[in-house]
Amino acid sequence: MTTELFLHNLQELRHSASLANKVFIQRDYTDGTVCKFQTKFPSELESRIERTLFEDTVKTLNNYYAEAEKIGGQSYLEGCLACLTIYLIFLCIETRYEKVLKNISRYIQEQNEKVYAPRGLLITDPIQRGMRVVSLQSLQTSVCVCECMWSVEAACSSEAVVSPP
Amino acid sequence: MPNSVGKRFKPTRYIPVSTAATLLVGSTTLFFVFTCPWLTKAISPVVPLYNGIVFLFVLANFSMATFMDPGVFPRADEDEDKDDDFRAPLYKNVEIKGIQVRMKWCATCHFYRPPRCSHCSVCDNCVEEFDHHCPWVNNCIGRRNYRYFFLFLLSLSAHMVGVFSFGLLFILHHLERLSALHTAVTLVVMCVTGLFFIPVMGLTGFHMVKNVMHASCQLFLLYRYIADPRKKIPITLKPPFLRPDLSNRHVSVKVSDNGIHSSILRTKSKTSLDGVDDKSIDTQPPLPPKADRYNQLKSPLTSSEESSLSSKPTNPSTPAMYKYRPSFGTMPKVHYHATGEKIVMSENGKPSAVLEERGHDYRSEPNLDMPDYHGTPLHRTYQSSPFQLDSFSTTSRSFSLKQGVNRADQMPLGGSKPETVTSTPHKGVFSPGTLSGRNGSLSYDSLLTPSVTPSVGECAAHPGVPSMGFHSPYLPTKMCHVRGPELQRHIGPPSYSPVHVGAMYGRQSPLSRDRDPSPVRYDNLSKTIMASIQERKELEEREKLMHRHAQAYANDSGVFDTCSGAAYGLPPGTCYPDGSREPTPPVCGSRDNLMGVGVVGYAPRTPVLRSSASSLSRAPRTSTTSLHTDPGGASRTVERQYRSPVHQTHHSPTAVPHSPTYAHQKVAFISALERADSQHLGTREGLCQGKVNGQLKGQARDCHLGTPSGTPSRQANVKKVTGVGGTTYEISV
Repeated sequence: MTTELFLHNLQELRHSASLANKVFIQRDYTDGTVCKFQTKFPSELESRIERTLFEDTVKTLNNYYAEAEKIGGQSYLEGCLACLTIYLIFLCIETRYEKVLKNISRYIQEQNEKVYAPRGLLITDPIQRGMRVVSLQSLQTSVCVCECMWSVEAACSSEAVVSPP
Repeated sequence: MPNSVGKRFKPTRYIPVSTAATLLVGSTTLFFVFTCPWLTKAISPVVPLYNGIVFLFVLANFSMATFMDPGVFPRADEDEDKDDDFRAPLYKNVEIKGIQVRMKWCATCHFYRPPRCSHCSVCDNCVEEFDHHCPWVNNCIGRRNYRYFFLFLLSLSAHMVGVFSFGLLFILHHLERLSALHTAVTLVVMCVTGLFFIPVMGLTGFHMVKNVMHASCQLFLLYRYIADPRKKIPITLKPPFLRPDLSNRHVSVKVSDNGIHSSILRTKSKTSLDGVDDKSIDTQPPLPPKADRYNQLKSPLTSSEESSLSSKPTNPSTPAMYKYRPSFGTMPKVHYHATGEKIVMSENGKPSAVLEERGHDYRSEPNLDMPDYHGTPLHRTYQSSPFQLDSFSTTSRSFSLKQGVNRADQMPLGGSKPETVTSTPHKGVFSPGTLSGRNGSLSYDSLLTPSVTPSVGECAAHPGVPSMGFHSPYLPTKMCHVRGPELQRHIGPPSYSPVHVGAMYGRQSPLSRDRDPSPVRYDNLSKTIMASIQERKELEEREKLMHRHAQAYANDSGVFDTCSGAAYGLPPGTCYPDGSREPTPPVCGSRDNLMGVGVVGYAPRTPVLRSSASSLSRAPRTSTTSLHTDPGGASRTVERQYRSPVHQTHHSPTAVPHSPTYAHQKVAFISALERADSQHLGTREGLCQGKVNGQLKGQARDCHLGTPSGTPSRQANVKKVTGVGGTTYEISV
C-alpha cells in the first residue's frame, strides 16, 4: 500500500518533472536578425499542450515583433519630432515600438490566462530576457516536486521502519 | 568582490565622461559669454541662436548616448542556463539566412551570444549589436543608443565647426587686442575646439562611412535578392557590419617568440581613433590583462579552429597528420603565420571585448568527449583540481559540479567554464566521428581525432585524445605538447587531446579559474604545423629511447621533481602571458607527470638544472612556487612532484599515461640539463612536454627565447622543440 502510493507519487513526480526544466524557445535566425522565435514544437511539451495552440502563440508573437520593427511613416515622424524637441517628446508620448511591446505583453497575459494556465503552463514575456528566448514553465512543477518528495520520503521511512526483513 | 551584477564604484570610469562634459559645456558657455555678444552685434543674432540650437542638440544626444540603455541583455536565469552551463559547448551554430554563424557562449551572462552581440568588459554586460564602449559617454554603444551616439558625433562636429569658425572670425577682428579678456578666452576656446577637432571629425567620418556602407550593402543585397529571388544569395559582398559575426571582428594577434603579444585590433567599429573611443570590448568576461590578450588570441583561434576543422576523421597515426595538414591549410578563416607573424583571425561574436569573450575567448576547452569519457558531464577542467588525467573522466563530473558551484564566483572573471567547454562542432567541419558528442566539435578531441583510438582506452589520462586529424593549426602543437608522454607510449599517436591541454589548464588552481584557461597557445601555430609531422616521427623514434631512459632514471625521480618544479618556477609573467595557467594540467593523468614534462621546456631552467640534482631538489620548487603567478597551482604541482617520483614509478606499470610521463620527466630533466638545440617541436616528447602544461608551454616558450642555447654535452640526445604557445621543450632524443 505504502509502496504503491510511493510508486504513484514517483510517477507523478516524473511526469511533472519532465517539465521541471523550463522550456526555452530560442530565436529563429533563418530570416536574419529580426526578432523571431522558433515555432518548432518542443518535445517536452508533447503531453502538456496541443501543438497548434503553441505554434499559434509563437506565430502571433513573431507577427507582433515584425510589426513593431516596421519602419513606416509613424516611426519617421517620431524620430523627427524627437530630434526637434531634443528628445523631450519621449517624456510625453509613447513610441510605436513601445505600444506594440505593450500589446505583446497584453497578448501574452491573455494567452496565459486562456490557454496556458489551464494546462499548467506559463509563458514569460521575452522582453524580460532581452528577447533572446521565450520561456515556458510548468506552473506546478516546483510545488509538486516538493510535495511529492515529502510524501515519498515519508513513505520510505515508514516502510523501512515497518517492514524489516 | 563585485559580482556580475553589482558593480563596484570606479571613479576612474567617470573621468573621461566628466572631462568631455566639462569641456563641452564649459567651452560652449565661454563661447556664448565672450564671443557671441560681439558676433550678435557684428553679424547677426542668428549666430548665437544657431549655435545655441546646435549646442542643445549636442547636449541632448550626449545625454541620450550616455543614459540610454544600449541594449543590454540581462543575465540569464539559473534555470535557463543550467543545461548549457555545464555541458554547453563553447559555440553554437545557427543558420542566419543560409549562413552558418557561430554564437559564442558568454560565461558571464550565461547564454549564447546572439549575432552581433558582444560582451563589454567595462560594463560587464552583453550588449546587442555592440559597437564599442565609448569612454567619453561612459556607456556602451549598442543597438538602442547608436543613433544617439551617431547624432551626437554629427552635432558635435557641427558645433565644433561653428564655434571654431566664429571664434576665428572674432579673433581676426580683434587681432590688435589679443590680450584682452574676451579675445584670450575666445582663443582658448578655439584651441580646445581645434584640439578635439581631429578626433571627433575623424570618428564622425568613420561612422558616416560605416553607415553609408551598411546602407549600400543592404540595398545591394536587397537588389540581388530581388533580381533573382530563386537564387540563394551568396555571401559575396558583405557589408562590414552585416557579415556574420565571424568576420565582424578581426583580432589580429601578433605572436612573438617570447609570448603572445596580441595587439588585438578590434575592427568591429573600424574606428581609426582608438584613442577617442575605448575599444576595450572584450568578448570574454574580464580577465587579467595578460590573460586577456591571450584569450583574445585564443578565442579567435578557437573559432578559426572550428572553422578549420575538417570533417575527415583522422586516425591517430602519424600519416594521418599528413592527411590533414592540407586541410588545415585550406581553412578559410584562419591564416596561420609563423611565430612572430601576425595572425589575423576573424572572431565570431563580439569581443566581449577581449574578455568575452569569452574573448570570449578562446576559452574553448578541449573536448573531453572521448568515448572513455562519455558521460562525463563536463569537460571543463579549469577547476584547479589536482586530479590526474587518468582520473579525469571519473572526476570530470566533480569538476563540472565544482565548476558549476564556482561559476558564480568566477562570473566577473569570465568564467572559464563555458569557455572551456568544447563547442559544438562546426557544421560540416567536424567529422561525425569526432568525439565532440555532446559538447560539440570544438573540443580538441574532435579536432584531432574524430575516432577514438585504442590508445585512448589505454590511458585514462587521455581524455579525449585528439585524433591526429585535427584540423586546427594549433592542434599539432597541442597534441604534441600534451600528448608527449602518451605519444611515447603509443605508436600511433592518438590525437593529442586538446582536452588534455585544456585539462592542463583546467587543473589550475582556483586562482587561475578566472583566467582564460585556453591550453593552446596559438602563437606558433605555423611552426607547429610545419614541424608536427616531423615531430611525430621523431617522437615515435624517441619513444623507444624514452623507455630505455625511463629505466635508467628511475632513481632520479627526485631530480625530476626538481626539474619539474623548476620548470614551473619560471616566472609566469615573463614566459606566459597568461600566468594563471601555470599549474600543469595533468596531461597524462597526473599533475606530477605534467610537471615533469613541463620541465623540459624551460630553457632558463637548464642552468638551474644543470647544477647538482641535490641542489635542485628544493630550490627550484620554492622558486617555482614563488615565481609562479599561480602559486596555488604551482605549489600543488610542486607537491605533486615530490610525490610523483614514487607515484609515477608505481604508476608506470599500471597506468599507461604515467609511465611516459615519468619518462618524460626524465627526458625533461635530461633535456633541461642538456639543452637541446632544436627549437621546434621536433619530437613527440617535446610536444608532449610542451603540451603538458599550457602554462609550461607558454612559459617555456617565453623562456626559451631568452635561454642560452648552449647545452652542455649530451646535446646529441637533447632536442629543443617548440611547443604550443612558444614553449620550448628540450627533449632527450
